[in-house]
Amino acid sequence: MTGPSITPDFTALEVPMDTWSEPFWQGTAEHRLTFPRCTTCGTFRWPAGPFCPSCHAQPVDWVPAGEPRIYSFTILPVRSAGDDEPARQRIPVLVEFADAPGVRLVSVLIDAMPEAAAIDARLVPHWLPAANAVVPAFRLASPEISR
Amino acid sequence: MTAKATAAIVGSGSTPYYFRGESAPQTIYELIGKAVHAAAADAGIGLNDIDGLVFFAFGFDTGLLIEQLGLKNVVFAHCVSGFGSGMAGMFDLAAMGVETGRAKNVVCIGATQQVGRRVGQALGNFAATPDNVFHRIAGLGGPGQALALSARRHMHRYGTRREAFAEVVMASRAAAATRETAFRRKPLSLDEYMAAPMLADPLCKFDFCLETDGALAFVVNAVDRAADRPHRPVWIKAVAQVADPAWGRAFFWLNQTDDAFVSAGAEAVAQRLYARAGLGPQDIDVALLYDHFSPLVIMQLEDYGFCPRGEGGAFVESGAIRAGGTIPVNPHGGHLSEAYVVGVTHVREAVEQLRGTAVNQVAGATTALITGGPAPVPMTGAILSSER
Ligand SMILES: [Zn+2]
Repeated sequence: MTGPSITPDFTALEVPMDTWSEPFWQGTAEHRLTFPRCTTCGTFRWPAGPFCPSCHAQPVDWVPAGEPRIYSFTILPVRSAGDDEPARQRIPVLVEFADAPGVRLVSVLIDAMPEAAAIDARLVPHWLPAANAVVPAFRLASPEISR
Repeated sequence: MTAKATAAIVGSGSTPYYFRGESAPQTIYELIGKAVHAAAADAGIGLNDIDGLVFFAFGFDTGLLIEQLGLKNVVFAHCVSGFGSGMAGMFDLAAMGVETGRAKNVVCIGATQQVGRRVGQALGNFAATPDNVFHRIAGLGGPGQALALSARRHMHRYGTRREAFAEVVMASRAAAATRETAFRRKPLSLDEYMAAPMLADPLCKFDFCLETDGALAFVVNAVDRAADRPHRPVWIKAVAQVADPAWGRAFFWLNQTDDAFVSAGAEAVAQRLYARAGLGPQDIDVALLYDHFSPLVIMQLEDYGFCPRGEGGAFVESGAIRAGGTIPVNPHGGHLSEAYVVGVTHVREAVEQLRGTAVNQVAGATTALITGGPAPVPMTGAILSSER
């Protein structure tokens, strides 16, 4: 017997931020996913660092990410609370976005039956509270098992 | 055209291998000291002849080492950057040191002791940063969990099967069966593999390498001294170090390019290495591939050109990496079955193969490939040869 993937508790998590990453977290606080795009050459950069890896310029615009999809994922066993509890899993997921080519976000897939997770599956963000920020997690857009 | 080597490995020394933590109460510096003593003896030199030290993966405390070991003449002490990725690069530094005359007897050192912290949980060992917080959110605590994402992508893109991962492990066990230094010597069946619990789907527990302690050291000489040593020199034919941004921080960030994501990050290393050696994959007799996780062996076979990109799964399933196959891989059992010491047990095996003294000797082997581990750049690889 297996249950849906766990939703981690981030309420004690202090998210470290710097000048370049803070706008990402300002976006998630408003339930928006945005990524930095070079104002000079249009290349997305991730992580949100001080220089464009393509043209080496500094300034960026923060741009809405677009539709998220699974690029890859793994399934990790989580110790269950007792013998009667169903086996649980945590599903780390690597997410790509329709409107931010080259960016991959490392996150967690929640409320998903492991058999339903698949590369290219469409996702919807789900917002979880952290100590000083709002963390983006993801759910399957179509949670039914399609295979 | 084949370039002449300018330096050689002339001494090899090792401690016994221990299960994780069981080398205590010796410190890692005691282990290193024992390996250095053994390597110097093997090379027929005294400790006072050692004038160079080379490390990788953040290295060791040179001051402590020279005090504790009583090394009096060290004038050259350098470290390759990167993690296990930098392992083979040690022989680049050592060769540069001796061929320029900066030092005469350079000792390359690799060691690990997993007391209190585990390499397998390395991603959780660092202080939180704006970058690595995402791995914490995901729950990716170790390299194996993060590399499971690459393995799944390889399966998705190329149709690679779990049977191929299993074959890498089973071939490793088959090799280790006759090797007394190996911890996992019992044969493994496909049924046993498939029945094992998943640690990071699609990786089961058998796809993860051992966690062990130990230290190894290797003495490097320039060509003018190498012939005077007791053992036949193992020539450093070529070494390549490449910091390719397509691979970058690899599983520490997971934003490799789409093509690099399903590789072991060594394609550019392989090209540079073969060009520097004037050799190709067809010239390699035995491949000592850094096998921290079984799918990465398949990806390295592709990176180093032993089979076409994407065909590594079928290649290993054909039996190609076993003794007598197209390219024997890790006849010592590797990190999966013998022991894990951040890649340097593979150098020991290369030396034994090229001296003709290996437990599972590849008949007539004259050329060996050793690779640094798929990890943040620089990625490194080296070709060693019994012929200059
Ligand atoms: Zn730019």
